[in-house]
Amino acid sequence: MARSTWLKGLGIAAVAGVLVTGGMYLYGSSSGHVPPATVDFAKLSPEEQGRLYKRGEQVFRAGDCAACHSSPQTGAQLAGGVPMVTPMGALYGTNISPSREHGIGNWSADDLYRAVAAGMAPGRKNLYPAMPYASYHQIARGDVDALWVWLMKQPAVEVANKPNEMHFPFNIRPAVALWNVIARPSAKEFTGPGDEPARGKYLVDVLGHCAECHSPRSKATFAMDSSRYLEGNTIEGSYAPALTPDALNARGWTKQDLVRFFRSGLSPQGVMTFRMADVLEHSTSRMPQEDLSAMAAYLTQNREMPGPKVKAATGQVNAKGENLYLGLCAGCHGAQGQGQPHSSVPMSTNTTAMFPTSINLIRVIREGVPERDLAHGERMQAMPGFADKLSHEEMADLVNYMRQTWGDQPGNVTALEVADHTKTIEHSQ
Amino acid sequence: MQDRIQFSATINRKKVGPVDVPKDLMMIEFLQEYVGMNGTRLGCGQGVCRACTIIVDDPDKGAITVPACVTGVTWLNGKTVRTIEGIASVDDKGVVHPSPMQKAFLEHYAFQCGYCTPGFVNAATVLMEKLQKHPVPADDVEQVVEQQLEPHICRCTGYVRYYNAVRDVILKTPGLTTGRRTKEVLNNG
Repeated sequence: MARSTWLKGLGIAAVAGVLVTGGMYLYGSSSGHVPPATVDFAKLSPEEQGRLYKRGEQVFRAGDCAACHSSPQTGAQLAGGVPMVTPMGALYGTNISPSREHGIGNWSADDLYRAVAAGMAPGRKNLYPAMPYASYHQIARGDVDALWVWLMKQPAVEVANKPNEMHFPFNIRPAVALWNVIARPSAKEFTGPGDEPARGKYLVDVLGHCAECHSPRSKATFAMDSSRYLEGNTIEGSYAPALTPDALNARGWTKQDLVRFFRSGLSPQGVMTFRMADVLEHSTSRMPQEDLSAMAAYLTQNREMPGPKVKAATGQVNAKGENLYLGLCAGCHGAQGQGQPHSSVPMSTNTTAMFPTSINLIRVIREGVPERDLAHGERMQAMPGFADKLSHEEMADLVNYMRQTWGDQPGNVTALEVADHTKTIEHSQ
Repeated sequence: MQDRIQFSATINRKKVGPVDVPKDLMMIEFLQEYVGMNGTRLGCGQGVCRACTIIVDDPDKGAITVPACVTGVTWLNGKTVRTIEGIASVDDKGVVHPSPMQKAFLEHYAFQCGYCTPGFVNAATVLMEKLQKHPVPADDVEQVVEQQLEPHICRCTGYVRYYNAVRDVILKTPGLTTGRRTKEVLNNG
């Protein structure tokens, strides 16, 4: 009798489990409400086509689609193939060219909206949230329509997608639907007052999806932690710094310098590096000045900020670190960290030494930075890597000296911390 | 924090110093202005052209090259350094004998104005010393030569004669390569 009750209970629990999981799957793999298209694509005049095409390219740039959907091998803009290394495995950007076989040539504008705003590809296929639909969910339908027009007029690239390399159980794609139930915000068009900061918020939060890297993520779900919005996050082996107005102010940013940084990749606060180098190349350097200004207005909340200022050193600076700086760095960056225009960035106002973590400083010193044409005439010469010249102890001394001298940070980085950061950096590559 | 340091180093097998120098002094200035060694050339002053390349002999890591224009005395203090002045040997009678690499550069007419040559000589010398410890297959010589010399800029020649000279010295010196050479040796300079 007791045995049959127990079996009955187990049966009910199993059925309930299947029903709940099934319900979650159905909800998490639905696209929700799809707003109607803003234009009738069959009846577009050449002028309207032209207007949409131009706007579509701007959406493509502001959304930084190319950073993941360009081929790292050939540079083909929509071919896909850029790897994104996550703790759950590696994902590769897909082919979004109008190829009917490999790309999105068979997609309607509604399909594109579902993919961008809800993370659902045709055939009830869940996209991994590396596609930032958790940010794009507020995209304007008109922007999707324009993007569709632009995408469909690009050359088809007949290149197959590279299979993802996710670890079990993350390689079970339908399981993303369960993640969606917990973490996916519903697709709903962004609304704002229509002023410059509101436009900036739309560009930062929705199209630019800045919070995907610059907000910490929940340890349980790996979703963006909205309670720590833009408070900075270590991701892919580097620190994406805090972008709150207070944090920007503390690091010596101004609205004007942010615009300059977005446009040319360079400002007294530093140079775009790591993933931001791609953001500069594909996105911000190609955005209209008024959009860059709107982003800066939103991020600074239009606050007057004093700008870059050389800070006083914190305590007795690390003497061994100073010798290393003068011996290995000062030849280009200057004994006082003054730098050289258009070739070596100044350290005295560089924000990298000001971050709460030393990982970026360690990474740049270890790996160096390749010679780069930035944008709009700005450029930087190559910085060599010093991994073979510095032990972890020496790296800690050097990093402590720089953080104390210019970063307003304590000189408390240890060799053990350098080893940990080095492991994180190596794991991300 | 003091603004000056007492700098000592072993340069071309001779002890130098201690010399009282500004702590932010770059090595090229020390060589040219403090000890009268003008063979190391200042080119770009930014560590890019490698005309100023000198050799640092590390007891653990072996010989490495650094650009003297952006390498400060604080990092080289106490270290063992070789400059272009220390590459050729001098016999008992005071006759100077160029190193095999220097001879090869002369034989190949590898340089014209010669401004970048000290850097090429030092980089190629370090490559030969590396190959003595870690020989490479004879067919890979061009590849390692290009890897080693690629950062060095020469504005007169087309690099080909420099590269050919280094390749020939490596192929002719026993112990630097392994296996038989199967590729044709081309002198397309």
